[in-house]
Amino acid sequence: MVRILQALASLKLTLAGMVLLGIGAALSYGNPVETSIWVLVAPMALLALNLAAAILTNPRINRQPGLLVFHVGLLGLVLLAGIGRLTHLDAHLEIAQGQSFRPELMMDVRKGPWHAGALDKVAFTQGRFTVDYAPQLRRGLTHSQVFVPQPDGTVLELDVGDDRPLVLERYRFYTTHNKGFAPLLTWIPHEGEAVTGLVHMPSYPLFEYKQDNRWTPPGTEEDIKFWLQLDTGLTLEDSWVLDGRNSRGVLVVTSGDQRIELKPGEEAQLPHGRLRFERLTTWMGYRVFYDPTIQWLFFVSVAGVFGLGHFFWKRLSLVAWTDDDKGPDSKGGTA
Amino acid sequence: MNNIVAEQPWLWAGLVAYLVATLVAMWGLSPRLAGVEGGVARQHEKVVLASISLGVLLLTIAIAVRWVRIGHGPWLNLFELLMSQLWSLGLIYALLYWRLPGLRPSAAIVMLVMWILGSWVLLLEPLPSHFPATYYNFWKWFHVGLGKVFLGLLLAGVGLAGVMILRRTERGRQWFRAMPTDAVIDRLAWRLMMLALVFDSLMLITGAVWAQDAWGRYWAWDALETSSFFTWLLLAVGLHVRLSFKLPPWLSGVIIISIFVLAFVTYFGIPYISPAAHKGMV
Ligand code: HEM
Repeated sequence: MVRILQALASLKLTLAGMVLLGIGAALSYGNPVETSIWVLVAPMALLALNLAAAILTNPRINRQPGLLVFHVGLLGLVLLAGIGRLTHLDAHLEIAQGQSFRPELMMDVRKGPWHAGALDKVAFTQGRFTVDYAPQLRRGLTHSQVFVPQPDGTVLELDVGDDRPLVLERYRFYTTHNKGFAPLLTWIPHEGEAVTGLVHMPSYPLFEYKQDNRWTPPGTEEDIKFWLQLDTGLTLEDSWVLDGRNSRGVLVVTSGDQRIELKPGEEAQLPHGRLRFERLTTWMGYRVFYDPTIQWLFFVSVAGVFGLGHFFWKRLSLVAWTDDDKGPDSKGGTA
Repeated sequence: MNNIVAEQPWLWAGLVAYLVATLVAMWGLSPRLAGVEGGVARQHEKVVLASISLGVLLLTIAIAVRWVRIGHGPWLNLFELLMSQLWSLGLIYALLYWRLPGLRPSAAIVMLVMWILGSWVLLLEPLPSHFPATYYNFWKWFHVGLGKVFLGLLLAGVGLAGVMILRRTERGRQWFRAMPTDAVIDRLAWRLMMLALVFDSLMLITGAVWAQDAWGRYWAWDALETSSFFTWLLLAVGLHVRLSFKLPPWLSGVIIISIFVLAFVTYFGIPYISPAAHKGMV
């Protein structure tokens, strides 16, 4: 048993594991979909075994507290990162002004098999937002207003954006460059109930040149095309603020050979019903992130580095860095 | 030639000071000084230290003047990064030069390496840069500062590595006759590497915190993250290779130089081939 552990603890195995991890990292560059997570997990598992064995059997590690803390920290990081992958959630969210968060609004949801967050307790309503731009359309600060209901019945208004996420139930909502306009439309069919809904136009100003979308009313085969003509004050030469309150839009509706321009409040008569352009509103794109391990990752890694610092400090003070440096170096032979 | 902007004269003056340090450090290796009594032979070291310090002071002014001119620190474009690295590498090296007399002759190598940055910055236009939303974050101070110490320690290691390699020739042995034995240099070099690992690890941790704040993820294997992970791993490999095998000093030197090259490419190459990382997008 001890023999096996000592073999597992070999430093040559450490080197092999590190080379494999390097290859795994190279394969993971850019997170290609076709690369299996195992290219990282396998070398990390090997190194974790190797390291655990070394910690148990190699007195050069386990008798030097600083070095021990550092290597245990490494083991902790691998473990935490693993737990993080099993419990995480990553998603995108597009939410319009006035809309309340519902989990179904999230898109591209990717989550670990053990994910168990209280997503159903997350409640907020999106308000308006502004984004500052420097000349040449270089993005500055984003200010996104959100309303969060409190247990005592009041509503808390928060300003989030960029590196200030909205954090609710450990879910973190980060604003992204992805945001734009959304006409609010009501469809009144010849028969049946009227429906009101939003059509999200492509991200603005990134796709300023193609603010279009299409929609087919339920129960028909009519292909309605929307094109939003916007006046947002956008300029290339000057600073500019993207702000829904300063933006006007005319909705160009095309169906078959009919082409109608609608201002907010106006209606179009189409083959299967009437379409009313209620008003122009905006949507904000968030990145949703949940990983219960991040604080622990931080603490464990900082503690590990302090261990290494302590070990180094002891080494440093053992001997002077000069030619008469004949003092004991704490390890035999190789130095 | 375009108009000269406010920081350029200060930058050039700083580089002239570094040039003086480089030439005097090289002169200090001259065989003519062989046999001269130790104290006299080391007189020039004061000039080297003073010139590097003066260079750092002049670069401090250059950075401050630019900061006032464009309204933010030297965090963004290549011109700014090179200028700021010339400043911090000079500062850290001056401190090591002062505190560790044993490594002083290797300044000739270190200052020559510094000239890769020095001549590069002269080729670039001092264009103003845009300050992206993600750069208001205060973690950038820690991340950037720790990275500067990391690179400074690696640079000092490169000087020692160069000595171990050059000493394989007769001329090299002459040049660096005033330095301790290879065994001592090797030990000193790897202690610098271990300290570099401490700062590298802290740089990666603070970088991950910043990335979490800025992009909502702490690690995503983008070009910069992958490349800096390689650098960290190579440092770990280097330290463990030394524990498992008895390395000849020149090979030890080659490993240290490869770590520096990788770190150098991570700093000054990767951010400019991959526009996605560390740049504010629309
Ligand atoms: C994963 C498996 C690993 C194993 C089994 C392992 C094992 C060891 C052992 C046995 C020592 C000897 C201590 C001594 O002789 O003084 C050591 C030293 C050290 N290890 Fe590791 N290690 C591992 C990973 C790492 C990693 C990933 C890093 C850093 C990136 C690292 C950094 C260090 C440092 C800085 C030293 C001190 C080097 C010196 O004294 O010159 N180790 N390790």
